[in-house]
Amino acid sequence: MTDYLGELRDSARQVLAGTGTPASEDKLWPLLVELGWLLAPVPEHLGGLGLGIEGACSLHTELGGGLSQAAYLPATLCLDAVCHSDLPEPERAAWVERLCSGELGTAPLTDPALTLASGAGALSGLAATVQSADRASHVLLWTADHDCLLLLALDQPGVQITSRATWDVTRRLFDLRVDNAALAEQLVLARGDAARAAVRRLHTLRDLSLAADAIGGAAALLALTLEHLATRRQFGRPLALFQALKHRCADLKTRLAGAEALLQDSLAAISTEAGDAGALHTAHKAKYLACATFLNVAEESLQLHGGIGMADEHPCHLFLKRAMLNEHLGSAEQGYEIAIADHFLGTA
Amino acid sequence: MDSEENIRSLRMAVRAWLRENVPAGWREAMTGTDQASFVSAQRDWFAKLSEAGYATPHWPEGWPGGGRSLVEQKVIFEEVARADAPRLILFFVALYHAACTLLECGTAEQRERYLPGILAGEIWCQGFSEPNAGSDLASLKTRAERRGDHYVINGQKTWSTMAQYADRCLLLARSDRSGPPQAGLTYLLLDMKSKGVSVRPISQITGDDEFAEIFFDDVEVPVTDRVGEEGNGWAVAQATLASERGLTLVELSQRMRYSLPLLRDLMRARRCEGDSAARRDLGALIARVDATCALADQYLLKRISGTEVAGDASMVKLHYSRTLREFVSLGRRLSGLQGQYDPGFMRGATQETGNWTLDFMNSYNWSIAGGSDEIQRNIIAERLLGMAREPKNWQLESPA
Repeated sequence: MTDYLGELRDSARQVLAGTGTPASEDKLWPLLVELGWLLAPVPEHLGGLGLGIEGACSLHTELGGGLSQAAYLPATLCLDAVCHSDLPEPERAAWVERLCSGELGTAPLTDPALTLASGAGALSGLAATVQSADRASHVLLWTADHDCLLLLALDQPGVQITSRATWDVTRRLFDLRVDNAALAEQLVLARGDAARAAVRRLHTLRDLSLAADAIGGAAALLALTLEHLATRRQFGRPLALFQALKHRCADLKTRLAGAEALLQDSLAAISTEAGDAGALHTAHKAKYLACATFLNVAEESLQLHGGIGMADEHPCHLFLKRAMLNEHLGSAEQGYEIAIADHFLGTA
Repeated sequence: MDSEENIRSLRMAVRAWLRENVPAGWREAMTGTDQASFVSAQRDWFAKLSEAGYATPHWPEGWPGGGRSLVEQKVIFEEVARADAPRLILFFVALYHAACTLLECGTAEQRERYLPGILAGEIWCQGFSEPNAGSDLASLKTRAERRGDHYVINGQKTWSTMAQYADRCLLLARSDRSGPPQAGLTYLLLDMKSKGVSVRPISQITGDDEFAEIFFDDVEVPVTDRVGEEGNGWAVAQATLASERGLTLVELSQRMRYSLPLLRDLMRARRCEGDSAARRDLGALIARVDATCALADQYLLKRISGTEVAGDASMVKLHYSRTLREFVSLGRRLSGLQGQYDPGFMRGATQETGNWTLDFMNSYNWSIAGGSDEIQRNIIAERLLGMAREPKNWQLESPA
């Protein structure tokens, strides 16, 4: 499996080298569908490659490095929820087939504020940060009390999407408004305890995926910065020769190595138990550290690039903006550090 | 040898042994005590560990306790951390640096002569740093002059851990001043009872005196106590300086993780569990501590699989030293005025004792000794990131 994972990563790297930075959605989405990347984490019995969360995350890392605009991350969250749902197996396999052959099932990258009116069985509320919603046929949603997880079709009355302009132009985010959509008309994936476990699993996966994306972005940006320091000359020597700059790069590399090791450790520890509470706490730490590190690398890189980093044509700012957005995606409203501390203090 | 089953049973055996043998209340016993009782407690602990076969897992097969794989050594270090056992500070140089120097670069005769003494509890110290040769170790000036079958040593060493108790010293001295700095160094094994050796403990900012200066005044060392060739001392030192590399940091980073509850206790005692700023700092620290453990672990696995590259070890050390500083700084800050009252320091303790101001000051040991953070950053930048090397023969420009 490790060999196969390595091959997948290498091929992803080649593909992304061809699409340029940022990797445009129009080019990349059909390509990654064709290459079967969506099938990578899907279990084998449902027709996938069975590479699990680790498989998906190694692709998130490559796509993060290439500033991918394609909605691969939410698509894998949506697919995972379908694969692990209460639907009968043939139905799950049919959905996998649909969602892996070009039709996009997306998901919000933060928690939706969605409620189910108990008497009428009607869903209402707002889901922010739904990526590439205008290209999607379905979106994965869950109620605020985590009691219901469902796949909502976008082409139905009472569902409206609004594009939101974000500083990060490497992702296209939408607000999704749901107004009295009948639950009976939706594809319910889980209810009650099963739904709560499924949402925990989804949160765990989302945190780890965002962490992987951030690691990829940080590594690519640090490489770009090192290249700049090696080629740019001032005072008759390459900038890379100045110790003040070297030490900052060494610190960035060291922090990145720590965040990367933590993510790998977390993936190894929870790949089998993604639905339990311990796994979610592990994922919180990986997400926090990876995103904080990406932002740290991005802030420093802008400074280390000097004037050229402020130019729109240079990709430095694209990484910075993606890093800033990443910090605020996910689920801990007060901030991940607080969630980690409260869990540790037993006050959560 | 490293089957999962074997590793698990070793782990269980070490764990059970430690449960029975770690001296109860050693932390309390070592608080505010004098050096003599510290030394005697260290000797007792070493004797126990050694008898159980856990003091020398890195020695080759054939030596008592030896022949353990790196995976097995890792298990032992992890369990020692988990059990919060005392660290073998007094014997560390003997067991690791001295033994590995002898095993890798010594002659069969030198091994026969010195290794049994180390096993029996001889204390060794390291005579490398000098007042004018710290980070720039190769510029050291202590002289070793060849006179017949002896070298005659003159000069001064400093920052030598536990030198005041040492039986022997690993000495790096200059036998030739003509070539480049690294070329003229010779590696010697020196008997601390030789005529002309004097030791002066250094009183530290923490109140402890675990380091000392060593002065050499026409001290004679037999040529048979030279390790490697004359002038080849730099290579000998490099080969063995990092003999425990990775293992100590796996142990220390895990100890740091096991010490996190000290911060929980502190926050409860100070009633600041609800304070957002404190919680934010704590949450960030916990993630970094976990990352330090993951990085140390991953590094050792790289060593085991032979995929280590230059600079990897430096990242582990730098990550540890920075995270340790954050840990103890948070404790010191949260402990408020209470942390400024001095309750007496703890000898031979770990980096995190809950005596926060002491821990804070002690954490500088890790960012200065064994290659300072700045040296590690140079190594990471130049060797791992491929940034341009500092030019040699640097000259100070005269002011215009």
